[in-house]
Amino acid sequence: MSKYVIRRVVQAIPVLFGITIVVYLILLLAPGGPTARFANNPRVTSEDRDAFKKAWGLDQPPLIQYCRWMGLCNPDKGGNVLGVLPPADAFIGNTGWPQFLPTPISGGTNGVLHGDFGVSIETGEDVGARIGRAALPTFILVGLAFIIWVFIALVIGVNAALRRYSIFDQAATVFAYVGYAMPTFWLGIMLIFTFGGPGLNILPVSGMTNTRASPPFGSDAYWTYFGDHTINALLDIGRHLILPVFTLVVVNIAGDSRFIRASMLEALGQDYVRTAKAKGLPGRVVTFKHALRNALLPVVTNIGLEIPFLFTGAIVTETIFSWPGIGSLTIGATRAFDYPTLMGVLLITSFLVVLANLLADIVYAFVDPRIKY
Amino acid sequence: MSQHLQSALTEPLVEEVERRAEEAGVDYEVTLESLNQWQLAWRKFKKHRLAIIGLGILGVLITVAIVGPFIMPFEFNSIPKPDKIVPAGRPPSLVHPFGETGGLQRDVLLLVVNGARTSLFVGFSSMAIGVIIGTIVGSVAGFVGGFVDNILMRVVDVMLSLPLLFVILVASRFFGNGNVFLIVVIFGLLSWMGISRLVRSLFLSIREQEFVEAAKAVGVTDRRIIFRHILPNAFSPIVVSASLLIASNIVTEAFVSFLGFGINPIYPTWGNVLSNSLTFLLQGNWWWPFFPGLMIILTVLAVNFVGDGLRDALDPRSRA
Repeated sequence: MSKYVIRRVVQAIPVLFGITIVVYLILLLAPGGPTARFANNPRVTSEDRDAFKKAWGLDQPPLIQYCRWMGLCNPDKGGNVLGVLPPADAFIGNTGWPQFLPTPISGGTNGVLHGDFGVSIETGEDVGARIGRAALPTFILVGLAFIIWVFIALVIGVNAALRRYSIFDQAATVFAYVGYAMPTFWLGIMLIFTFGGPGLNILPVSGMTNTRASPPFGSDAYWTYFGDHTINALLDIGRHLILPVFTLVVVNIAGDSRFIRASMLEALGQDYVRTAKAKGLPGRVVTFKHALRNALLPVVTNIGLEIPFLFTGAIVTETIFSWPGIGSLTIGATRAFDYPTLMGVLLITSFLVVLANLLADIVYAFVDPRIKY
Repeated sequence: MSQHLQSALTEPLVEEVERRAEEAGVDYEVTLESLNQWQLAWRKFKKHRLAIIGLGILGVLITVAIVGPFIMPFEFNSIPKPDKIVPAGRPPSLVHPFGETGGLQRDVLLLVVNGARTSLFVGFSSMAIGVIIGTIVGSVAGFVGGFVDNILMRVVDVMLSLPLLFVILVASRFFGNGNVFLIVVIFGLLSWMGISRLVRSLFLSIREQEFVEAAKAVGVTDRRIIFRHILPNAFSPIVVSASLLIASNIVTEAFVSFLGFGINPIYPTWGNVLSNSLTFLLQGNWWWPFFPGLMIILTVLAVNFVGDGLRDALDPRSRA
């Protein structure tokens, strides 16, 4: 088992490395570059632009930029080889150890390997801190939606499989088809029309908290307010959560409930289920102990693969309901050509995908004794 | 030769049936209907009621996309002057069955009809690019194997690990410039990975089958083996996942345009029409975003139904 885990982890390393290269390439190839944000500003001269590039290290050859961004190269050592490659001594940190080693050994603090994603061009804040701040609202929103939709999908999927071709099953099929076809943004807009200002006007449709009643979410003042009026603050967030959570749940139940239904049907057709029925076990025991437990094996993997979705999946929902999470952060950074922030978001989410894949494989090998590794 | 073989096989059967019918005293004539693979597939497809409905919806939508803009042309530069500006637009009426937008007071039906052309064009042509790239990569990886396969599949792993929605969004913003063709290319370049994995696995399993071995034994060239022996057998799974790719690309286009990074509003698509409605959201004009969204749902539903039908019809193991 541990051999399998080690092999899988080792296999993931080149993929992670490839991701950093692709993320870097996408943004390197983008026309205009980080100075594109000044394109329509007549007060920024070309000298200003050059100074900006120099200050951010953007005047260096791409390979050196990548090397520093990764944290492989020491930014204190200048110069280059043939105008393209980083010089050999750039790989050595200030303490004499290779730069890529952890900070206490190499003395290096720059780059992804040392947990430094750079500084946002848009706001001047640390990218890691920005992403960390945006992560909490996203986790609250998608985490809650995730728990609800997995639970409902389980109930629907298992019942549809138990009563195959019944009216309930057919209704669930239609719902899944429509839910799958429905774009998130359209559902969100329709909900705003129905429950928000233009319609019944009973639910808030924008933001995470009532900005008239409390300081903006995430600020120090907000947490003081939260400590003083915990119940009110929670109720406020809860009210703001209803519509976005509902949107996410409806759109995502579709695929999962179909998957659970198929998995459950397969388990119900197995010989051990027939044996269990034949020896006279009560239906409940057969359903839940024999069929469901085995049907859940592939479901666990599938849900594991959805974990990165907790981070990226709510981009549309967040935009429509002005939820201050990762999605809104990404959209804002894309509008502002904020390269470091975009690279940070892309990198962290891709790493999460790889991690979830790894976790799903390992958990699957662990829970299913039939898997040989 | 095959015709000859068939009649040699079926003649005794026909005679047997006619003999029994005669014994039972029934006047009975047997005609044999020989069906090729496509006719068989179509026969199975017809039994799938939802697939036929889906095909009908898709047919209507494609007709609207091709013919519609000639009947209701969308002139961006000569906007007809509205008789009276109503900021929120007007709800559906007999003259404007889908209502009128706020702002420029456009007929929503006009936008939806013209949007159908761009949206479907993006969906179908980016699917074509994705399928071509995916098939080539998958074939090479599956047929050559070894080191090449390893490298190509690691590339696919990396691409699939990226949050594709984010990447498409960023790429559309930085490279797309609202241009329809660039958006199509971006979508195509970012949607081939699933197909390539599928084609590779098909190649790996078909490559080991007896008829390929036989072809190799009689000295058929690699090229002929790939194009005449393996690819035709891999055809149906590719068609099914291609159909699903159309649906996902149409939704993704709508999503990217909706966020304002997609196709320039001078070419209306269902996504950017929806997006423009956001500015006037609080005026309560539900008909503006409602109808373009409904079209997206209809298209995706239709494509999925057809895909399901194709899956059943092209599967040689299921018999009608």
